[in-house]
Amino acid sequence: MIPDFPGSNTSPIHRLIDAFHRLPGIGPKTAQRLAYHVLRAPEEEARELAAALIEVKESIVLCEHCQNLTDKSPCNICAEMSRDRTVICVVEEPLDVLAIDRAGGFKGLFHVLHGVISPSDGIGPEDLKVEELLRRLRDRDTDVEEIIVATNPNLEGEATSMYLARLLRPLGLRVTRLARGLPAGADLEYADDVTLGRAMEFRQEV
Amino acid sequence: MPGRPPRVTKTEAIVLRYRRLGEADRIISLLTPHRGKIDVVARGVLRSRSKMAGHLEPGTRLEVALAAGRSMDIVTQAQGLDSFGALRNDLDRLSTAMYVLELADRLTVEHADAHELYGHLHNALVRLARGDGLQLVARTYELAVLEATGFRPELTVCLGCSEPVEASHAWWSAIEGGLYCGDCAGRRPGITPMDATVLKVLRAYQSQTYEDAGRIRLTDDLAARLESTMHALMHAIVEREIGSARFISTTRRARVNAEAVRSASEVTSDVISGEPEA
Repeated sequence: MIPDFPGSNTSPIHRLIDAFHRLPGIGPKTAQRLAYHVLRAPEEEARELAAALIEVKESIVLCEHCQNLTDKSPCNICAEMSRDRTVICVVEEPLDVLAIDRAGGFKGLFHVLHGVISPSDGIGPEDLKVEELLRRLRDRDTDVEEIIVATNPNLEGEATSMYLARLLRPLGLRVTRLARGLPAGADLEYADDVTLGRAMEFRQEV
Repeated sequence: MPGRPPRVTKTEAIVLRYRRLGEADRIISLLTPHRGKIDVVARGVLRSRSKMAGHLEPGTRLEVALAAGRSMDIVTQAQGLDSFGALRNDLDRLSTAMYVLELADRLTVEHADAHELYGHLHNALVRLARGDGLQLVARTYELAVLEATGFRPELTVCLGCSEPVEASHAWWSAIEGGLYCGDCAGRRPGITPMDATVLKVLRAYQSQTYEDAGRIRLTDDLAARLESTMHALMHAIVEREIGSARFISTTRRARVNAEAVRSASEVTSDVISGEPEA
């Protein structure tokens, strides 16, 4: 609940606080701080912020192939001919593409689902970019041999990966999942049963 | 003078669901035997170095230490007791587990004793993980939680005249959660004929022990009719769509399609290789 400010609720400062408050993770106090920061900042800085917000909404589209956010379609990754076109890594969100690409070990293509199956939140496969993936495999990327499902290793990520495997295996594709185990710097004492079990199952020779 | 409540309490719990809170925290919904359903805050669990994240996944039974917070308690320690790992390797088991968790979430209110329901949820997860029949686990769980929460469906006598109803002449009201005889059904809206075999199985599930109920053999068709009747009943009771029930249907459709593609390709390869049909 935004506290009352001098003037009407439709005053510019109130509208700005309200706009910040609607952003994820921003509470009323932070919204007030951000609004007053903008007020105190030079006018040029406020204009840059406003222009960046407008530009991102007007110029960013979904890549017609991988569904990632991009300013041109196909995106840079899909257009890069040196990439391995026999492998597609399926991720939940655009930020996951950045994380995997930054890690540097994967040189194939991506597909962004824009979410994960979460039945209790009313999100089913039809709300994700699953149909776009199937269409892509049928019509365009017919050289693909392997799909790496890189959803998060939680209940919803597991459900999504197994559902995709059920859809994709009949197409004759190899469907794999990212390895699960102990993260770097972890402490065995605090590891849960599933993680330890998987780490043991997929152990490697030293 | 009454003493102050302890600052840190310990309880056993099953994780029902979670939602994100801020940058790296989650609000976790727990079902506990004595405090019922409670929402608690788990700080920093979205960070990869979190020591608690793996223990706070939905469907995990755990022992948790909670520090009293202003609006919600805060998780200070979490130790998994049973993660039911086998559920995470099978889509049909996992989707059914999601369904039993969602039902427990929808049928409970916060801070009300849920000892009985907790036991039913624990049993259902144990049975799913050890490989019991999905229909048997889901249907007996539904009937048990309905009984525990005061929604036991009436499967023997007519809701109108209280006379026993024959399975072959029964009418069903999902909204009212029970049967009507032919005479009383005519005057009621929203009533459908009840499948006699489905009713017989439900009566057996309601009156027999789990082990005896497990001896009933179900065809795929009967299992689907049974599931459809019970999903409609649960939908009417929780008064909103149960997302995981829809997901169960979606995963089944995907399996049927996959099996159809597999058999079609087997037929094609038989024809190509010139092998005679078995």
